[in-house]
Amino acid sequence: MSTTGRDQKTQSSLGNIVRRPETGSFVGLVFVFTFFAILGGPIFVGAPGWSSWLNIAAEVGIVALPIGLLMIAGELDISVGSVIPASSMTAAIVSGHFGLAAPIGILGGLGVGLLVGFINGYLVAKTKIPSLIITIGTMFAVMGLTLGFAVLLVGSTSVSLVADPLTKKLLGTFVGGMFNVSMFWWAGFVAIIFYLLHISPIGNWIFALGGDRESARNAGIPTANLTIGLYMLSGFAAAFVGILQLLTYTSAQVASGQPFIFNSIMCVVIGGVLLTGGAGSVVGIVIGTATFSIVNQGIFFSGLDPNMGSIFIGVLLLAAVLSNDGFRALTIKLSTKKS
Amino acid sequence: MKLLNVLATTALVTAAASMAAAEGANIFVIGGKPDDPFWSRVKMGAEDAGKVAEAQGGSVTWLGPQNYDNLGPDAAELIRQAIDQGADAIVGPDWVPEAMDPAFEAVVAAGIPLVIYNAGGLEAADRLGAMNYVGAVDYKSGYAGGEYLGAAGHKNGACVNTLPGAANIEAFCNGFNDGLAAAGGTGSVLQLPATAFGDATAVAQAVRAHLLQNPEIDAMFAIGDGDTNATVSGIQQAGKAGSVHVCGMNFNDSILANIQAGTQACAIDQQGYQQGFFAVSILNNFVNYGVTIPTREILTGPGVIDASNVALVIEGVKAGAR
Repeated sequence: MSTTGRDQKTQSSLGNIVRRPETGSFVGLVFVFTFFAILGGPIFVGAPGWSSWLNIAAEVGIVALPIGLLMIAGELDISVGSVIPASSMTAAIVSGHFGLAAPIGILGGLGVGLLVGFINGYLVAKTKIPSLIITIGTMFAVMGLTLGFAVLLVGSTSVSLVADPLTKKLLGTFVGGMFNVSMFWWAGFVAIIFYLLHISPIGNWIFALGGDRESARNAGIPTANLTIGLYMLSGFAAAFVGILQLLTYTSAQVASGQPFIFNSIMCVVIGGVLLTGGAGSVVGIVIGTATFSIVNQGIFFSGLDPNMGSIFIGVLLLAAVLSNDGFRALTIKLSTKKS
Repeated sequence: MKLLNVLATTALVTAAASMAAAEGANIFVIGGKPDDPFWSRVKMGAEDAGKVAEAQGGSVTWLGPQNYDNLGPDAAELIRQAIDQGADAIVGPDWVPEAMDPAFEAVVAAGIPLVIYNAGGLEAADRLGAMNYVGAVDYKSGYAGGEYLGAAGHKNGACVNTLPGAANIEAFCNGFNDGLAAAGGTGSVLQLPATAFGDATAVAQAVRAHLLQNPEIDAMFAIGDGDTNATVSGIQQAGKAGSVHVCGMNFNDSILANIQAGTQACAIDQQGYQQGFFAVSILNNFVNYGVTIPTREILTGPGVIDASNVALVIEGVKAGAR
């Protein structure tokens, strides 16, 4: 198979474990879990604590996975912050306000995500404008359109939807009264994206794209289509989270979703994805998401001031970037020693 | 010839208008956009009160901005427009005092009776020389929620604050805690980090964790439809549905459904319909008969919606008044 260095499973020296990009992230995860387990006590370590942070992790995790792929490919997507409410408002208006069947509204909401993703990807692939700027632009455009259409069609900034029992069961219930079904969907996304990045040939294309776009194109990789596909995946995932939130809380608001922009980027960076592109792993992103969510929820179990949670996240983020750099330096040292 | 005709017609219309003014009260109401759901209820109240004014030969004219981008100056412009159109009485909200106070002062200087409603409070009415203030007060709305849950036998409350630092949210929460304290309980505030604002899952999980960690809490208060729905979900996930009761500010159809189903104890409404209705009535009666309302600060809220009156509220929603 490929020789780009992603599957050298044959070697298993200590150096190789340390060299894995997610090792630093895993150390961080163990640290925060232990910290909050001590402060939070048995409730945090038991099912209520686990379900609490897993519910948070599932939603931000679904958004973070494709964001991670984009960052590995050297791009950003800010527009997820307004795709989430756009999708849930679309579904709520179609099914809640106009009374069509819930699956039709859901398809409409997911379609909005794919469309915004296509526009993002097309603009990033065809222009020289940085993706940060393009997706900030589409974020504001989508936000304005959502508000405008909501007021025009419904005359309100929040619309409710009471879905049929089956749809509600699949997308918005709590298993055992506390585990949101969203975490099973998250597991599904993890499996698919793990396959995409680490098993299918597309994974190598994504790494190559993040390494050097020009050489990737010269090597015959369809960079434009790949970029568009990645953005559509990101739009789809964000739209999916919008649908999950709509069915869980039975109402959609125009102003939800903004926290997901930075939260998803933080999960990805804590998970060891290189901000400049070219390196990262799905396992790392999952670890980063878990770490982020444990800090976010652990703070409420610990009795500390919730604002301390933000300080924690900030420090973790910086520590992650620093340790990534440290591990990379170590990697380079180890590999030069070998050759 | 044609021009002359037009001029003659205009003169006639103007004459008719001033004749009407001599008979009834032409009341101008400055408010929000007519397609804003809250303001459409206020407008309906003003127009319903206006039916009496019309029967007496007067009229009610609604002046609202096209959008809220430049609210203070736009609203000040509408106030001046009302003076120019020969208003006999003016109703207006003091949204942005710096921009709007000079225009309100011009109303009083022109000898036109003025009522402040919706925003500004009695302080604004006194400062500007207006007859009265008609509206709700954030602190008292929170107080009503605390009092309601306290009276229902709840002893330990928490107010969910997703925007720490926002003055109106703090007023709601202080009111809630004081209302609960008056009924013999104690209240606290659950402060959420800014990263949670607008994220229903983050709010629900924070509520749930807080309840698990503080099992003595048996009452909660949330501000706005979204936070209230999330709080209800958080309570259910903590396995405390039925033992922890929740009241919230404002309502929509999903909140009303929750009240019917019993998952939410009450919703606090500032009753916009009443704001339009009473502000116009006070002025119409004053202009026509010189009668006054000596009660200063006419509170239109808080109105409490619970299982006992939710059916009536749903009827009111269908009629467009709530």
